[in-house]
Order: sequence, then structure tokens, then C-alpha cells
Amino acid sequence: MISLLQGMEGTQDMGGGMQMGRDLALLAPEIAVLLTAVGALVLEMLRLPRAALPFTVIGLLVATGLAIPLLGTETTLFMDTFRIDALSTWAKLVLLPVTALCAVLSYGEVKDTDREGTVYALLSLTALGALALAGAGDVMFLVLGVLLSSLGSFALVAYPRDDHSTEAAMKYLVFGSVTSAVMIFGLTFWFGATGSTLLAELVALEGAPLAAAAGLVAVLVGLGYKASVAPFHFWAPDAYDGAPVSVAAFLSIVPKVGAIFALAQVVRDLPQGAAGWPLVVAGLAALSMTYGNLAALVQENVVRLLAYSSIAQSGYFLLGVVAFGGSDLAVPSLVVFAAAYAAMNLGAFAIVVLVGRDLRDFVGLGRARPVAGAAMVVFLISLVGVPPLAGFIGKLLLFGAAIEAGFVWLAVVAILNSVLSLAVYLRVVVPMYGVPKEAPARSRTATVVWTIALVATVAVGLAAQVLLGSVA
Amino acid sequence: MIFTLAILAPLAAAALILLLRRGASALALLGAGAGLAGASVTLARVSGGAYPSATLPGLPGLPLRLVAEPLTALLSVVVAVVGFLVLVYAVGYMKEEGGKARFYAEMSFFVAAMQTLVLAGDWVLLLASWELIGLASYLLIGFWFWREGIPQAATRAFLYTRTADLGLYVAIFVLVSRTGTTELSGTLAVGGTAATVAGLLLLVAAMGKSAQAPFQGWLQDAMAGPTPVSALLHSATLVAAGAILMIRVSPLLTPTAQLAVGLMGGLTIVVAGLIAVSQRDLKRLLAASTSSQYGFVLLAVGAGSPAAALLHLVAHAAMKSSLFLGAGIFQHARGSTAFEDLRGVGSERRLVFAGFVVAGLALAGVLPLSGFFSKDAVIAAAFASPYAPALAPFTLAGTLLTAVYVARTLRLLWRGEGEDEPVAGIGWMGVALAVLVGLAAVLGFAAEPLARLTGGEPPRDLATALLVLTLALAAGGLLLGWFVLAGRLLGPLGVPAEEGFRVAGGFDGLVARPALVLARMLDRLDRCIHAGVLGVGGLGLALARASRLADERGIDALIAALVRGLRELGGRARELQSGLVHRELLLAAAGAALILVLLVIGP
Repeated sequence: MISLLQGMEGTQDMGGGMQMGRDLALLAPEIAVLLTAVGALVLEMLRLPRAALPFTVIGLLVATGLAIPLLGTETTLFMDTFRIDALSTWAKLVLLPVTALCAVLSYGEVKDTDREGTVYALLSLTALGALALAGAGDVMFLVLGVLLSSLGSFALVAYPRDDHSTEAAMKYLVFGSVTSAVMIFGLTFWFGATGSTLLAELVALEGAPLAAAAGLVAVLVGLGYKASVAPFHFWAPDAYDGAPVSVAAFLSIVPKVGAIFALAQVVRDLPQGAAGWPLVVAGLAALSMTYGNLAALVQENVVRLLAYSSIAQSGYFLLGVVAFGGSDLAVPSLVVFAAAYAAMNLGAFAIVVLVGRDLRDFVGLGRARPVAGAAMVVFLISLVGVPPLAGFIGKLLLFGAAIEAGFVWLAVVAILNSVLSLAVYLRVVVPMYGVPKEAPARSRTATVVWTIALVATVAVGLAAQVLLGSVA
Repeated sequence: MIFTLAILAPLAAAALILLLRRGASALALLGAGAGLAGASVTLARVSGGAYPSATLPGLPGLPLRLVAEPLTALLSVVVAVVGFLVLVYAVGYMKEEGGKARFYAEMSFFVAAMQTLVLAGDWVLLLASWELIGLASYLLIGFWFWREGIPQAATRAFLYTRTADLGLYVAIFVLVSRTGTTELSGTLAVGGTAATVAGLLLLVAAMGKSAQAPFQGWLQDAMAGPTPVSALLHSATLVAAGAILMIRVSPLLTPTAQLAVGLMGGLTIVVAGLIAVSQRDLKRLLAASTSSQYGFVLLAVGAGSPAAALLHLVAHAAMKSSLFLGAGIFQHARGSTAFEDLRGVGSERRLVFAGFVVAGLALAGVLPLSGFFSKDAVIAAAFASPYAPALAPFTLAGTLLTAVYVARTLRLLWRGEGEDEPVAGIGWMGVALAVLVGLAAVLGFAAEPLARLTGGEPPRDLATALLVLTLALAAGGLLLGWFVLAGRLLGPLGVPAEEGFRVAGGFDGLVARPALVLARMLDRLDRCIHAGVLGVGGLGLALARASRLADERGIDALIAALVRGLRELGGRARELQSGLVHRELLLAAAGAALILVLLVIGP
């Protein structure tokens, strides 16, 4: 504790007097998100639910806009505890629009229900938690982010208040509580060994393998739960299935990306000698991909199918984390794949909102609603990784990063899993071109969301290829 | 260039006939007449000392040349005269035949090709026209191509001459590669071994075209075509081409080559003469006679007297075309050319027979007809040559044999009785026949001017003893032929002679059968290779089948098993998702513990 205080004093001394004002300016996007959440809540209390959605969307887009100037800034806030870097800034640029689109998507499901505005507030708060994770420079931010995003998520899952959702939320809560507790418990080993909560001080773990291992396990459990990495994923299919589809879409993207980025922030500072962490993460990646795809193969419920698919995608994400052990491609690959994943996964969920949860609901979609059907095909084959779509370039970078870091076998496993995932997604695509029963009811909000997602899926793929091509 | 008219006029006639498809005979006569006029004017000019020539663009550095020298101009006139008269005759002969356009176009083309051959000043053009006359004769021999045996006869004639043409090709290669020019006159001065080799090769080509032993077989089969074709073929074009070639290249010939040429000619005189004596068909007899007479021409070349050769060639052109034209009329009268059917035709058609007799006696060498002078020139050349002991006996035997078959023919045509049919178009035929018979009768008196024109030595007069001897041989031969039956005359030689002395089965046995055996062996080899290739292919197919089997039973089954396995695994994975929080938490805890263990013991 004494050393912590000394450290804080030391940082303050280095930082100077204007520290606080500068920090707040750099934190403007997070503050905007917080104000959006509070505002949505106030509007709900004022019984102005109609105003809550536009307010939330505008607030989140403003926050996104505030994050744009931060591109290229590499600094830390609040005595090194929060980081402004490529990961955290891109997390804002990707996750805040996704949150806004999820709010739009949820409008169709939650409008005219009691406390409609609280949904938007909870979405904002959970996104804030994810942002805290993505920029974490201190273990306390890890804990804060996990808890903040978890609490909001629990409430969102339970929102419909029927048996299904209540049970799902309950499981989620229990699972989250246990894993969070394990994480907090494990992290104390790091504090004990290094005398600091700063991730930057993890270098000091060099001589303490046991403590390093204990802390890493804790982080993996806590963030693995948040990112739904096998074997800490068990909550996800139930929670997604119980929650409104829009909330499932949100949960499958925002907290996951936040947690993955947080894990990247942690491993970036782990000493190279700190055991075989890349190997362990690689093992988790392989397990997550394989398990997710295998389980998705037998699902009859599209939401659960996409839940397992998102578990598999977490495995792909971990390739980028593993690459922090020895590749310059690690950060770009994570950012590009995050953007790609956000676009294509959100689009797929938006189509589910439109069509229904059951696989049978998709029969004949391609004929009844050709454009929406084609969009669904694009999202799904992008999830497989077919060029020139976003998923292809994201996966290509991840595989390249893993190979560059020396994990060729992991790349091979990932490629094999991509082949396997084709079977998963074709299970949705094939019935879509059967004989249609009846066209699903139109939903303006869902259409807006999948259209934007479709544009993003194609644009990210093309833009990334152009950018990478110009670099090469 | 008036002298090219000899080529271009018949060629244009042929093209026009094919285009217009009417007035065929008139166009052909017009073309032949214009050609004759051109050739005559050229001969007049050349005799005045001006040698016109033309150069056409050909291969780079090897232009095509046409030259009119005394020899070529004279030959051009011979070709033009015979061609024209035969066409006149054909107007009558073909009166009731179909396919007139085709006939006259081909005849005109034939004459044009022959004129090109005669006037060619370089080897490329000569070779091209050499092949064109082969093609034209193939087309004309096969004119009645729908009749049985005729396509085979045409093909046989074509293949025989083409086989011998190999000699011309190789000879040209030798000459051109040694001298670097294709100009005919330039290559004739090559000398040495190359000259001997080239001379012998040219002899092979000439023997093929002129039906010299042992290539004599095809000519008798070639009689299957219309009679005007035979007349043209034998007297002035295809068969004459070989002899003309040897006359033109005579400056090239070394003593060795000369001896070979002379011996081959002598051999043919006797062999073909014997064949002629034994024939039972008028046209076949005339064909054998042609071979024999060209044997005289070659012998004269071999004896070193191209002037005598030329004289006999020209005289023979008149005599033989007359005989053929007469035979054509007899053929029309009796519907056949077999002697059996022609019995007594001479006594029925006395005027035609008179012409026939004049031409026949000329051929036999009876004073004062043309054959007497030309044959005596050849005999004189043979006795004067260094190889007189080898060559002279052939000429004397030839004289006797010629007289024998002429007399035999005349007797067969005169005696006996038969049914005559009316002959259409006898006027045209008669005019042409009369002119040619006249030429055959009087050409002998032109021997000296002709020899002077071509620059050769005038034929020596024979010693009186020799003169008496040849006349006695001719008279004796005529008496023998008239009074003694051919079978008695020839004895055991009769049967093989009638079959044409097909040495070892003739061309069929010497060339065709070995070639077929070789082809069959190659075919067998090919089949072996084929089987090998098929085996490789079969192996490939078997491998493919095996791999497909492996694909179906192995890989497909493997994939099916994989899919089943994956689905099963998926089911298992779902089972883990029991929905019971405490069990799932346990699994998560187990996972965390495993990671911890790995991290601790890992490094």
C-alpha cells in the first residue's frame, strides 16, 4: 500500500498541475456515453419514452464523433490507469455506433413496454463498461469494466420478465458473480507480487511464476467469461436465447470486444518470461473455435446457433491476442476483425429480429424477401471468411498475425474451423432458398440496421484491402 | 511475249470451259489453235536466230524461267500440232459422250502443262509441270471413272509415274545444291560424279514417264481412257515427257550415264517389242509399241546423238497419233479394241485402213516413209557410238520386231468378217487422221533441216550394207508377221510376253507387295505401340477407378464419418450445456484449474 501511494505521488509529480483538465478532455467520449445513459434514464422518469431513443442514438453518435480526434493519440490518463491508444479509441469508434444500432434494433422489441427508456440507458452503461475494459491500464479498471458491463447485461437479459428470460438472467448472474469473484481474488496475487495495480508494473512479476500464473488464470476466467470464451461461455447461449434478440446482438458484440481488447491490454504488459501465456491463450482459442462450431452445428434455434458461432468467433479473436507475443499485426488485426465482426454479427442478428428465432422460420426467406435474404447470405459467408467481405480480411490478418508469432498450428486449426463453420452457416442459408411459407412482417428498424450492417460489411472488407494494399 | 501464247491459250481455254460450261469443243480448238499459232511463230523466230525468254517471279533468288531455244521451240510446235489435231479428232470421237466440258478442259489443261514442261527454263517450273501432266493424265485416263477397273488403272498410272518421279526430285536436289542455280542450262555443265548421279536419277524419272522396262506395265492399263487421250498421251505429252527430258539433259550425261541410258532403251526396245507382238488388243499393242519406240529414242540419247533421238521422237509423234486415231475409228465401228472384235474392220473401212497402213509401214521403217529415216538415224548413231557392240544389236532386233507386230496388226484388221456400226463424227476424225498420216509419211524428208535447226549433227548416212540389212529386216519382219502366227513365232516367250513380262510379278511384286508387307509390319508395330499406349491409358483408367473407389469407399466414407463424428461431437458439446448452473460452473472451474496447472508446470 505504501509503495502504491508512493507510486501515485511519483506519477503526480511527473504529470504536473494541469493533469486533471487534460484527462477529462481525453475522456470526453466516455463522459458523453455516461451522460447519454443518465439522460435516457431522466427522460424515462419524465415519461417521455418517445424521446429516449433519439436522445440515446444522438448521444452515442456524439460520443463516437468525440472519439475521432483521439485517433493516433497514445497516452494514459489518471496516473497510467486508463489508456488512450489504438485499441481503446477504435473500441469507441466501433462499439458506440453498434450500441446505437442495437438501441434502434431493440426499439421494435421494447417499444410501448414499461420502462422502455431504461433499456437504452442500460445499453449505454454496458457499453461504457466495455470501453473501460478496452482502455484498461490498471487491474481496477478490469474489475470495474467487468462489473459495470455485467450489471447492465443482467438487467437487459431479464428485461422481458418472463420465465425464460428470468431464468437466463439468473444463470447469467450466478455465472458472472462466480467468475468475477474468481478474477478479483486472483488479481490480488498480482498486487501482492508487484505492489501495484498498474498493468505496466506487471514486468515485476518476472521472478514470481506462481503469482503470475494465479493472476493470469484470474484474468482469463473473468475476461473469458465476458468474452464468452470456452470453457467460460456456458451462460451465453441461455442468456442470448432468453434475452430480446437485440440484446443478444448487443451482448455478442460490445462486451465481447471490450473483454478481448482488455485481455490484449493485459498480455501486452506481461513479461515475455511469464510462463507460456501465449500457449495457454492459443489453447483457449483452439478450444473455443472448435467447441463453438461443433455445438453450432446441431442447433435448431438461430439465436443459439449465432451464440455458439460467437463463441467460435471469440476463438478467432484470441489469435490476435496470442500474436502480442511476437507480431506487429496484432493490433491492426484485432481492430479490423472487431469492426468486421461487429458489422456482420449485428447484421445477422438484425435479420433474426426480422424473421424469427427458429431455423424453420428461415425457410424460403431468400424467395419471399430476396434482398434481406441476400443480405443474410452476405453476413453469414462473411462470418465464414469469404473474400472480399469484411470477415475475410479480418481473419486473414488474424491468421497472418498468428503465423508471424510462430503459431502456425493455431492458424491451421483456425482455417480448419473456418471450413467447419461453413457447414454451420450453410444450415441457415440452404433452407432460405426452399419454398417460402409466408413473407415475414416488415420491420423498419431492423431494415435500417441490416442495411447499415451490410454496407459496413462490404465497406470494411474493401477499405481494409485497399488500405493494406496501399501499405504493401 | 508471243511464245507464252503456246501455254496461255490452252490454259485460258481450260479455265473458260470450266467457267462457261458450254461451247467446250470450240473453246478448246480455239485455245489449241492459238497455241499452235504462238508455237509456230516462235519456231519461225527461233530459226531466225532470236531466242525469246521470260522470267517470272518465283522463289526468292530463284525466278521461274521460260525459254524458247531451237529444241524447245520445235518440241512446242510438235506438242501444239498433235494437241490441235487430236482435239479436232476428239470433236468427232466424243460426239456422243457426256462430260464434254470436263474432257475438253482437262485436255486443254494437259496441253498447257505439257507446253510449260517443254518451254521450262528452270528445274522448279519443269518439276511443277512434270507433276501437272501426271495429274492431267490421271484425270483423263480416269475420264470414265464410273466404269469398272478404270479408277484403278488411273491410280496405277499415277502411282507408277509418281514413284519414278522420285528420281527427278533427287536429281534436282543434286544439281541445284551443286550449282546453286535452278536454271536448267546452268546446271547441265556440272560434270563429274554429280553429273553421273544426276543423269542416272533423271533416267529413272524418264523411264517411269516413258514406260521403259521395267516400268512398262502401267502404259497398257492406261489404254482404258478415251482414245484421243491415248493418242495425245503417247505421241506428244505424258509418255513423250520422259524422252524429252533425256533429250534436253543430254549435254549433262557422262559416258557412264550414257551407257545406262542406252542399255535401258535397248532393253525396252526388245522387251516391249515382244510384248507388242503377243497382244490380243489393238490399243494394248500400240501401247507396248510406244514403249518400244521410246526405247529407240533413249538409245539414241545413250548413243550420244540427241538429234537422232529428236528426229525419231517427232516422227513417232506423227506415226503413233495416226495409228491411235485410226484405232479410235475402228473402236467406234466395232465397240471394242480387241482383235477378236476387229476382224475384217480394215476391209470394211478401206480409207481409214489405208491411212493406218501408211502410218504402220512408216513405223516399220519402210522406205520412203518418215520411220525409215528416223530409225536409220538411230541405228546409224548406235553403230557410231563407242558402245556400238552393246547398243547396235538392240536396234536391229527392234527393227525386226516392229515390222512383225505391224504386219500382224494389219493382217488381223484386214482378214475375217465382222459387223460394222455406223460411226458418228467421222468427218472430224478423218480430217485429223489424214493430216497426221500425211505428216507421218513425209516428215522423214525434213530430217536434215530439223537436225540443223537444233544444232545437232545431221544423221549420218548408213553404209550401204547396213541400209540393205535394215530394209531386209523390215521386209522379213513384215512377212513373218503376216504369215506366221504370233504363238508359233514367240514359242515359250508367248505367255509371259502377253502378260507384259511382269518381272517377279511386275510392279506389283517388286514395289507394291513389299511396300504392303512393310506397311503391314509397321502396322503391327504400331498396334504394339498402340496396345502399349492403350495399356498406359488402361492403367491410368484403372488407377482412376481405384482412386474413385478409394474416394467413394475411403475418402467419402471418411468424410461421412467425419460429418457423423462432428455431429456427434456437436451433440456432446450440447450435452455439456446442461442448463444446470452448478454443473456448468464446475466445468468452468475445472477449466480454470487446468489452465493454472498448465501455466505452472508449462514453462
